This record gives sequence, C-alpha cells and structure tokens, in this order.
Amino acid sequence: MTDEQQWPTADLDDVRRLRVLAAAIPGARITERVLPLPADEVWAVMGDLEGEFGRFQPDMRHVRVLSRDGERVVALARSRYGMRARLEGVVRPGWCWLQSRFLIIGMAAAPDPDGTRIALTGGLRVPGRAMIVPFGTARELDHALTRLETRLRA
Amino acid sequence: MSDDPHEPGIALARAALRGDTLAMQDLLAHLTPYVARICGPIALDSGPDATQEALIVVFRSLRSMRDPQALYGWVRAVAVREAVRIARRDGRAHPAELADLPAPGDPQLAADIRDVLARLSPEHRAVLVLRDVEGLDEQTASRLLNLPAGTLKSRLHRARASFRKAWSA
Repeated sequence: MTDEQQWPTADLDDVRRLRVLAAAIPGARITERVLPLPADEVWAVMGDLEGEFGRFQPDMRHVRVLSRDGERVVALARSRYGMRARLEGVVRPGWCWLQSRFLIIGMAAAPDPDGTRIALTGGLRVPGRAMIVPFGTARELDHALTRLETRLRA
Repeated sequence: MSDDPHEPGIALARAALRGDTLAMQDLLAHLTPYVARICGPIALDSGPDATQEALIVVFRSLRSMRDPQALYGWVRAVAVREAVRIARRDGRAHPAELADLPAPGDPQLAADIRDVLARLSPEHRAVLVLRDVEGLDEQTASRLLNLPAGTLKSRLHRARASFRKAWSA
C-alpha cells in the first residue's frame, strides 16, 4: 500500500467550517466580509471576549470568562436587557463557537488573498435545540459585522 | 473503556442528534480530517469545496442516519460522492487521461501521486482512494461507486501495463 502521507489532502479553513455548522442549523444565517487586514490583527479584536466582543455582538453588554481549559471556555454573558447566559464552547485563534440554552454564537476568520475573511453566525437558540429563531437574525449579524469592520478600520 | 477509534465520533453524533451544537462542532472537528483525506485526492484543486459540501450534506442529513454505528461508512460514501460531483462540476480537460488505474504499490504512483491523479477521471481517482487510502477491496469500492464489479475488475486487470505505457510515452 502506498504511504498515505504522500496523497494530496484538502484543507478546510475556519470560515468554511462555520459555513458547515450554519448550514446544518435550521434558522441560522451566516454573514461574511473580507477585510484588508492580517488575520492576527482581526482576531485580536474578534476573540477578545471580555473586551471588544461585547461592543460588536448584538445585545451583548458584558462577558466574563469563568474558566478556560485549553480551547474550552465557560463564560457568563449579560445582555443589554439584563438577561444572563452561561456560554460554553471553544475559542482559539480564528474560531469561536459558544452555546447557552438560549444563545448560539459562531465566529471565524481565515486568511484570504485580499486580507482576512471573517464570518459570523448564531442568534437566539430555540431552547436546548440545534435551531435558531430566524426573525431578524440576518440583520443583527450584518449590524455586528459592520460594527466590527468599523472598529477594525478605525 | 473502548479502544475503538470510531467510538468518540459515534458518541458525538449521538449528542449532536440530541441538539447539542457544541457536540456538533466537536463532531465537525473530528470528521474534517477524515473527509478531507478522501476529498483531497479525488477533487484535487477543488478539494476544499468538496470537503465543505460533503460535510454540509453529512450534517444536514445527520437526523436521517438510522444507526450511529454506521457513521464512518456513511460519511465515507457521502464524501466520495460529493468529491466526484464537485470534481466533475469543476472539471478541466484531461488530455492525457488514463483508461486504467495504476496497481497498488506501483513505484510511479508512489513517486508523484498528484501527477498520476491529475491524469485520471474523478471516478478513477475515487476507486484509487477507496482502495489505497481507505483499504477497501475492489468489490466494495465498485459497489460504493455504483460501478459494475466486472467493469472495475477488467480495468484493474489491465492497469499496470497501460499505466506504465502512459508514463513512458
């Protein structure tokens, strides 16, 4: 048998991974944009859960990280309307996937020939299910991406 | 504790079926290298597209999977089908396309797999991947590709000579 190490393999970057999850969750939308900035600079803002994150994500006022174990994160989020969410998930450079009983948050960034492609998905979760309440989701995500872009280009 | 390398994927698939999106993202991380390993050599430059499309089919259809134990066989079948479809969709001309497949262990296959693959049709690349990467016998591979076993067998029987001929041309 031929050494399989020599066979060409495909690479699935983090934005493509986010497309897969968004496609698999009924009600989910995904918004993408390419920014003329290096990926590490972009992720320094996107992945800053306790700082920048609350300034561009919809309805998010404050996030506090309760624990980190490698890429695994548990965080407490508070919305502008006072609601709290205990988010659990994975955060690493280029990738963030968090869920609570009522929320799903997905973010990705991957190098692009014109800079960095960023993508957002998520929204209000149908409690405990892999499903997102579809109303207004696309508009919220678009607003979040615009806020993020404005911040990054500043 | 089971030593079955498939056990983590099966457990994650069960959790994902219960609506746990964190388990879905873990399952995605778990299955991606497996799907990429199949789609890469079949779809070549379209490998990332094929891997993405195959995983979308897998995750959208997860609910229709009757038996989580069958996860890997099912994922393999989806990956091969999507890789062939995307490779055909993005198909470029194969002016030096080979009619037959190189035999396992052919030294020229080992020397430059990518060049050999680029000379084959997507269906032939799929047979090669199933046989040499996935270790399936030819009958199982032909069943998975909906090719008559006789057709595949005769192609493989003539493989070595015509492969060498194409290379020495």
